[in-house]
Amino acid sequence: MFDQLQKAFWKALTPDLVADTPKAPAEPTGELSAAIVAALGGVDNLQSQQPLALTRVRVVLRDVSSMDQQALSAAGIAGVMPLEGGVVHLITGLRP
Amino acid sequence: MATPQQLQLLAPLSGVLMELDEVPDPVFSGRVIGDGLCIDPTSSTLCAPLAGIISNVQASGHAVSITDDHGVQVLMHIGLDTVNLAGQGFTSLVEEGQRVAAGQALIEFDADYIARHARSLLTLMLVVSGEPFTWLSAPSGRVESGQPLLELAAVQAISEVAVAEEGQVLFSQTLRLPNPNGLHARPAAVFAQAAKGFGASICLHKQQSQANAKSLVAIMALQTAFGDSVQVSAVGADADAAINTLTRLLAEGCGETVAAVAPVEVVEVETLTLLRGVCASPGSALGQVVQISEPVFDVSEFGGGADVEREAFANALIEADLALQHLRDTAAGEAEAEIFKAHQELLEDPGLLDQAQALISAGKSAAFAWRSATDETAAMFRQLGSALLAERAADLTDVGRRVLKLLLGVGEQALELPQGSILIADQLTPSQTARIDTSKVLGFATVGGGATSHVAILARACGLPSICGVPVQMLALSNGTQVLLDADKGELQVRPDPATIHQWQARHTQQRQRHEHELANATLAARTRDGHHVEVSANVASFSETEQAMASGGAGVGLLRSEFLYIGRNHAPSHDEQVATYNAIARCVGSAHNLVVRTLDVGGDKPLAYVPMDSETNPFLGVRGIRLCLERPQLLREQFRAMLGCCDLTRLHIMLPMVTQLSELRQARQMLDEEVLALGLTERPKLGIMIEVPAAALMADLFAPLVDFFSIGTNDLTQYTLAMDRDHPRLASQADSFHPSVLRLIAMTVKAAHAHDKWVGVCGAMASERLAVPLLLGLGVDELSVSVPMIASVKATVRELALADCQIIAQQVLGLESAGQVREALQLFHEATVDTLRVLEN
Repeated sequence: MFDQLQKAFWKALTPDLVADTPKAPAEPTGELSAAIVAALGGVDNLQSQQPLALTRVRVVLRDVSSMDQQALSAAGIAGVMPLEGGVVHLITGLRP
Repeated sequence: MATPQQLQLLAPLSGVLMELDEVPDPVFSGRVIGDGLCIDPTSSTLCAPLAGIISNVQASGHAVSITDDHGVQVLMHIGLDTVNLAGQGFTSLVEEGQRVAAGQALIEFDADYIARHARSLLTLMLVVSGEPFTWLSAPSGRVESGQPLLELAAVQAISEVAVAEEGQVLFSQTLRLPNPNGLHARPAAVFAQAAKGFGASICLHKQQSQANAKSLVAIMALQTAFGDSVQVSAVGADADAAINTLTRLLAEGCGETVAAVAPVEVVEVETLTLLRGVCASPGSALGQVVQISEPVFDVSEFGGGADVEREAFANALIEADLALQHLRDTAAGEAEAEIFKAHQELLEDPGLLDQAQALISAGKSAAFAWRSATDETAAMFRQLGSALLAERAADLTDVGRRVLKLLLGVGEQALELPQGSILIADQLTPSQTARIDTSKVLGFATVGGGATSHVAILARACGLPSICGVPVQMLALSNGTQVLLDADKGELQVRPDPATIHQWQARHTQQRQRHEHELANATLAARTRDGHHVEVSANVASFSETEQAMASGGAGVGLLRSEFLYIGRNHAPSHDEQVATYNAIARCVGSAHNLVVRTLDVGGDKPLAYVPMDSETNPFLGVRGIRLCLERPQLLREQFRAMLGCCDLTRLHIMLPMVTQLSELRQARQMLDEEVLALGLTERPKLGIMIEVPAAALMADLFAPLVDFFSIGTNDLTQYTLAMDRDHPRLASQADSFHPSVLRLIAMTVKAAHAHDKWVGVCGAMASERLAVPLLLGLGVDELSVSVPMIASVKATVRELALADCQIIAQQVLGLESAGQVREALQLFHEATVDTLRVLEN
């Protein structure tokens, strides 16, 4: 509670220094197909997703253990790179 | 040698294979660096695909190459455009020269950071040494780190028969790398590829290191950075062509887009109509383009033995010294003579000579040795980031070329110029300007240089218009093109249309007539139309200038720079010498006028040979002016004594520079009073301070009761208020005294002075600008001390104004937001009052 107050106080003083909490994307599934979303543990498990680095989609999962790598392969994902903090890179190939 | 075993390359990472053809980077997909494979990684430790020696790790940690014992060389490059990350996200686990086993970890990387900050994580493994290979697995799909992937064909002992190339080694000129990250993998590959097209053996040099120009890895191992000075050398039949092609390629950025030295497109030149620069010397002229450029000399590296070369070198130095002495003796002005004197001193610089002699002893030719020494030192000067040193680099290059030409037997020819030339150059060296027949020149426009550059000094001395800081495209204008140079506006108009020319001619004629009119009336008093009298006095630095000032209608001297007695000599002037000089100047000024003598204003930025001063990191904020004098009170006392000698010949005013603290003023005042007492004088001279530090302007109300007058030094006041070096090549145009902040400080100073019945002068460059006259008058300034040639013009301007109008416009501009707006408002004021007036009178 105190933390939040303090943060609000700082933000009021220095709006540039305290970043806005990233808004949850309206449609977290984006371009990911239903099969991929299912293999990632369902839409509720998908905190965010962002295509980047030409060939990757960066997803943040609430619970990495509910991700099914085999199902991802079957859904056409060429490679999976689990990273720290629930971050997973899905290699989807070069985007046109 | 036993036939080497077939070599397998292991996957350096786990991940997904991608066809090299598909990699969205032409250098990799075009196999410019070599053939190989691409992996989109799912692991984040790059491992060695083969055993060998680490032949190169890029400092930025994103690329590494391994050479095995049979010369097979494999380069791994993590991600695309990752060089821009400058090492962020990469941890190198190995060092250059270290032997590694196949499968050993080489680089760890933060995949998430790189994915979010670089273009891609696609990682390349390329066989740089060019052996063909076959796949051991499917060339697509997933791979695991350490899995055998490629098999190289038996390694041919590509005995790059080290035929020591016969013939002379040719060297290119030194050029600076335009690539923002130096020659990293991609530009290095393009360069090496181009080098391979020549039979000659070619080297790329960076300072003392050199690399085989045909080896990508060797070039990368040079670890070049943006702005590094490099040279290409070649030996062999097509050495000439190789040097030409490769230097051009380097200048163009080896396939990378480089901003600074982008090749100039012809189309662009034809559409060029207006080029902007900064005014270095006022005026305007219509003339034709004459491009001045220096030829590049071929210098052979080796000579006829150390003794022969040493003798040739000594002779060239003597000849160069004689030539410089001649230029010095026949120089048009003192400023120019000083330049050549400085050049003579460079010829004796022990650092340079030692460097050159060492190279000669090592078997190099004198020309090569001298050029290396001067080029390297000049490059060092330029890299130090100081505008002043950068200009010393230009001097060094100039002296370098003078001696080089003597060594190579290339004569100095006078430049053949057509009538009405407007000279265009990257930069004009003093030696070049000395060869110019100024009667045929109407103006100058240069890419480099600043207000303190030689061409600016020369142009001002000859009264010719000059602009500097013009875009490099100007160098592509063809000779003979008609241009209109308007230095007052800082513009060069290319192929002006007849209407523009007509307008300019009308304006030019008017200006000339005005100038003649002003000179004819120079002796009239500077009184405004509504009867307010203004003192227009002169800034001088010698007796002869004082004479000129008094002859051109100056009301005394508003600033005598006492430094002229001290600068450029190795011992202090004697008391008698000082007294004699001050007396002569005082007599010339006479008892009807003021003579304002400023005490010694030197410091780390303009040191004196016989006053040892510590070099300071920022001399403009260091011990200068009164600060130095109070540290060396004997110097100041001697000055006071000498000045007091002319007390009864003129209205002597003594002025202290750079005063910031009240205690400085009190200390100096006490010293002066003591000297007055010691000499038994009945009347003490007036004592005032320069207002050139914002602190003094802000505290003017406290200073005013303690002084007899203020004089505002607008140049330093502007530089200190805006925190902009007035000689900075990019900031100079913004460091404008018309900035409202500076004007407010002037207003504040005047108000404080008048409240105590003290007068205020302005002795900075601003007072010599006609546009500033109504403004300064309106702010209440009582005296304008201007450069000698401007006296008549400023007086004429005063006579055209009404003080009441000036006060209104001055109050208005104080509220504006920029120097540009102030200038615009004053221009409108000028057109509305002065120009209209002239029409009415005619």
